[in-house]
Amino acid sequence: MAEKAVEETFAALFALTDLRQIFRDTKPTYKLNVEQKEKIRKIIERVKQSIDIIEGELLK
Amino acid sequence: MSYIIEDIETRSREELFINIHPIQPGGRLTPEAMKAIIAYGDGYSTCDWCRAPFRLDKIKRPPIAEFHEELAKFLGMDIARVVPGARRGFQAVVNSLVEKGDSVIVSSLAHYTEFLAVEAAGGLVKEVPLNENNVVTGENTAQKIETVKKETGTLPKLIMIDHFDYMFGNEHDVYRIAKIAKEYGIPFLYNGAYTIGVMPVNGKQIGADFLVGSGHKSFASPAPSGIVATTEEWMDEVFRTTQMVGDVTKRKFGIKEVEMMGCTLMGATMIAMMASFPTVRERVKHWGEEIRKSNYFIDEFLKIEGNQVSSELPRKHTLTKVDTTGSFDKIAQTHKRRGFFFSDELKERRILGEFPGATRAWKLNTYGLTWDQIKYLAQSFQDIARKYGISVA
Repeated sequence: MAEKAVEETFAALFALTDLRQIFRDTKPTYKLNVEQKEKIRKIIERVKQSIDIIEGELLK
Repeated sequence: MSYIIEDIETRSREELFINIHPIQPGGRLTPEAMKAIIAYGDGYSTCDWCRAPFRLDKIKRPPIAEFHEELAKFLGMDIARVVPGARRGFQAVVNSLVEKGDSVIVSSLAHYTEFLAVEAAGGLVKEVPLNENNVVTGENTAQKIETVKKETGTLPKLIMIDHFDYMFGNEHDVYRIAKIAKEYGIPFLYNGAYTIGVMPVNGKQIGADFLVGSGHKSFASPAPSGIVATTEEWMDEVFRTTQMVGDVTKRKFGIKEVEMMGCTLMGATMIAMMASFPTVRERVKHWGEEIRKSNYFIDEFLKIEGNQVSSELPRKHTLTKVDTTGSFDKIAQTHKRRGFFFSDELKERRILGEFPGATRAWKLNTYGLTWDQIKYLAQSFQDIARKYGISVA
C-alpha cells in the first residue's frame, strides 16, 4: 500500500521541480508562452493526481 | 519567506531574481540534478549497490562506472575521476608530481587553491607575468621557464594555467602553452574551472596532460564537486593505488587510489553531477550563443556614459569585470545609501549577484540567461542610469 504512495510522493516532487525550472526560465517577469503554460497545466495535473493517490492509499 | 528549520531560510533567489553573481551561474543546477538531490540526499546513497572491488568509479547501479568512462570521452582524455572541487584535482596532480623545493609555473591570475596545492606539496609557485591585455601568453610562459631554469638549475615540475581566469574572464593561450610545455618536457595541467561544462573542451586537442574542472562552477552540480582527468601516460602516477600494509594486522586496501583518498563524491553530489551530464553535454555546443548574449549585454552596458569594461573585448566569456567608477560610483558619492543605492536599484528590478555596495570595479556573469532575461538586464542598467541623470547613448 505505502509503496504506491511513496512512488507518487516522488512523482509529485519531481513535477514541482519542473515547475521550479519554469520559474527560473521566466524570472523576473514570468511572462509565459503557450508551451510553458501547457507544461504548467500538465505539472499541476500530475501533482493533483499524485495527491489523490496518496490520499487514497493512506487516508481512505 | 519559508524556512527549512527555524533559522535556515529557503533559498529561492534563482526562482525570484536574475542572478549575475560572477561565479554562480555555471553551477546552477539542472532540474534533473535537483531531482537527484531529492532522491539521493541520504549519506551513503550511492553505496546501495557497491560490490567488489568496492570503489566509487566501479559502481554499476546507478551507472557511476559508465559515467566515469563517458566523462573521460567527453573531455578527450583517457581517464577521469570526480573530486570534491577543482582544488582537490590540483592537489592530486601536484602531490603526485611535485617534491619539496620543486618549482611549479602558474598564471599571475592563478586561483589561490593552486598556490595552496603547491605549498602543501612543499613546492614553490613561479608566476607567469601578464601581457598588456591581462593575458598569459606562450612567450611569457617560455620566458618564465627559462628564468626558473637559470635561477634554480632545474626545469619546473609542472605548468598549471587557467584557460579563462576568475578575475577578468580573459582567455589565456593554453594551446601555445601546452605546445611549449611539451617542447620542454614539462607536464601541463589545464585549469578548466571556468570552461569544462560550459564550453567544448578536448584535452588531447589542447595538448594537456591533465584537465581539472569544477562541478559547482561550470558543470551544473552541487558543491563540492570537480573533475580531474589525464592520459594513459600519467594515470598510474596520479591514480596510483595504495601499497601500504598494516604492520600488526597485515591489512591492505589495494584497490583504493591514494590521491583520491578512496571514494570521492558520494551520495547526492555524485548523482546530481551525473543527472546534469546530458544537459551539460548538450549545452557546451551552444557556447557561441552564450558569447553572443554576453557581448550584447556588454554593448548595451557600454552605452551608459562612464561605464567601462576591464576584461578583453569583444568578450569570449560570460564572466566580465566591469568598472562603473565613471557612472554609478559618482552617484554613490552623494547618495545617503552610498554604494548600496545601486544594489537597492538592482534588487528593486529583481536583479542580484553584484557585490553589494560596490560601484567601482566589480564582476558579473550572464551565463545561462535567456535572451529575454539578457534584454531585461541590459534595460534595467540603462533605466537606473537614466533615473540618476546619467546619459545613455
